[in-house]
Amino acid sequence: MRFGFIKTLCVLWLAAIVLLALSAPLITSADPYTPVSDMLQSPSYHPPLGTDALGRDFFARTAYGARLSLSIPLLSTLLTVLIGTTFSLTAITAGRLSDRIILTIANTALAIPGLLLAMLLVAGFGPGLSTIVLAVGLGGIPGFIRLSRSIFLGIKEMGYIDAAYALGASRTRVAIAHMLPNAAPQLFSLATTHFAWAFMGTTTLTFLGLSGDPSFPEWGAMLNSGRMHLIQAPWLTIVPGILISLTILAVHYLGENYADH
Amino acid sequence: MVSKSHRRTALLAVIRRLLEGVGTAWAAVTLAFFALRFASGDPVASLLSQGLASPEQADEIRISLGLNAPLWLQYLRFLTNLLHGDLGSSLYTHRSVSQIILEQFPSTAVLAVSGLIAAILLGLILGITAAWFGKRASGMIAATIAALATSIPVAFAGILSLLIAGCLLQEPGSANGMLIRLILPAMVLGFASSGPIARVIHSGLSESLRSPFILAARARGIRRGFRLLWHALKPSLPPVISLTALEAAFLFTGTVVTETVFSRPGLGRLLVKSILDGDFPIALGLVALAAIFYTISHVFADLLTLVIDPRLRRAE
Repeated sequence: MRFGFIKTLCVLWLAAIVLLALSAPLITSADPYTPVSDMLQSPSYHPPLGTDALGRDFFARTAYGARLSLSIPLLSTLLTVLIGTTFSLTAITAGRLSDRIILTIANTALAIPGLLLAMLLVAGFGPGLSTIVLAVGLGGIPGFIRLSRSIFLGIKEMGYIDAAYALGASRTRVAIAHMLPNAAPQLFSLATTHFAWAFMGTTTLTFLGLSGDPSFPEWGAMLNSGRMHLIQAPWLTIVPGILISLTILAVHYLGENYADH
Repeated sequence: MVSKSHRRTALLAVIRRLLEGVGTAWAAVTLAFFALRFASGDPVASLLSQGLASPEQADEIRISLGLNAPLWLQYLRFLTNLLHGDLGSSLYTHRSVSQIILEQFPSTAVLAVSGLIAAILLGLILGITAAWFGKRASGMIAATIAALATSIPVAFAGILSLLIAGCLLQEPGSANGMLIRLILPAMVLGFASSGPIARVIHSGLSESLRSPFILAARARGIRRGFRLLWHALKPSLPPVISLTALEAAFLFTGTVVTETVFSRPGLGRLLVKSILDGDFPIALGLVALAAIFYTISHVFADLLTLVIDPRLRRAE
């Protein structure tokens, strides 16, 4: 198998972003919360990406921002995948009635677009970062249930599932020991595409100012606050905007092409 | 020839789809109500924490909003009021929510409709170019733009367009005002929603271009041109219609961001403001209406595809 050129680029990009997040304190000594010099300085030798409207080192904010911007959708994707998979696996293995009920609820919930459901939950919980994790995580569940259910549906038709039942395996055992491991690669691909959605959703919510405190270094929130100084300091919006777009592009591409194999 | 019994089964299918739609809308509204209550607990708490009401006043507000009643009774009241077009009143201004929404509706409707038109046009152009020119440079470029459209957040696309417009137009005039107020937001919204349409057209058209009926058409002497394109395009249009209905609803989340970027009044900004303020009747009313609208557009799309796609009618 030839590992495509674009695929390599995507992997490299994501690795760079993760590295940026992990090594933020090593590559910059500046604190993302405290002003270091005059406000709205242009990119220069020091500080490398200039400063924002409050005189904070913008490179430090971008680097620390990678931590929040990646971990929020990662946590909410975990939440979605755990709850969603539990429901869809139950739906497929526990009998017709539970399948009917779970599918009906999921389809109904899909009548509210996921991001809108997330916004409604933020309205209830009150703005904040942990709220966004919960809201994006819960908001993505209905769609995930429907897609993962169809994966399990395909696996249920396989001969080895019939064989397991014939050998006397219980429903729980078939679900956990046979269906789950065999669905894992497809579930992983689904989770990857879902992460792109969660990432987009998170940055959208923080862009709308729903993270509660605008001082958090987070790319969506930075995109929002940079907007006020679009003409004097365009890098304040262009840098986080490009980071967000390229990350979504890379995850999308990898998720889709993983599914092809 | 359409026989009588044939027509009756078709009618039954339509009625069944309509009833399903009503059921879905009801269930979605219910979900919205309970999701908000599950998340918030006490809606008046935000008033208390902001010091906008004393504990005694908060109790009064609870009674006037009917929040002291058991949850199921509140739910029944919400549902019956909704059927009468009454969505309650704002926690802060005490104005009727339906009134507030009606005031902001035209602005969002204009933006959403022009955004949808832009999305369909752009999706068609990108999808057709990508399929028709295939592996040639123009085809690849179209496919890349379509991929970018799904990956670039609406917020960033909007900001970029403002930046470009700001560089191109130095002095603001009346024509520029129109450009900033409607044309630019609609194009940004359309660009962000054109990706999926382009994709469906791309795959549908490339498939039909490879199929035998196109070979037959070319054998009959139809040259590679508009007539052949139309011939090949027709079978891939029905899925585009149901997709457009889906998009119409998702467009709402897009308008929320677009309105924020372009500082345009409308339902989207109303929603963001109500969430930030903790004004839950407005947020709930907007989401409930969005869910109802989504269901209606879905049912409508299903019926429309049934009418225009002869393959589905035969299957009934």
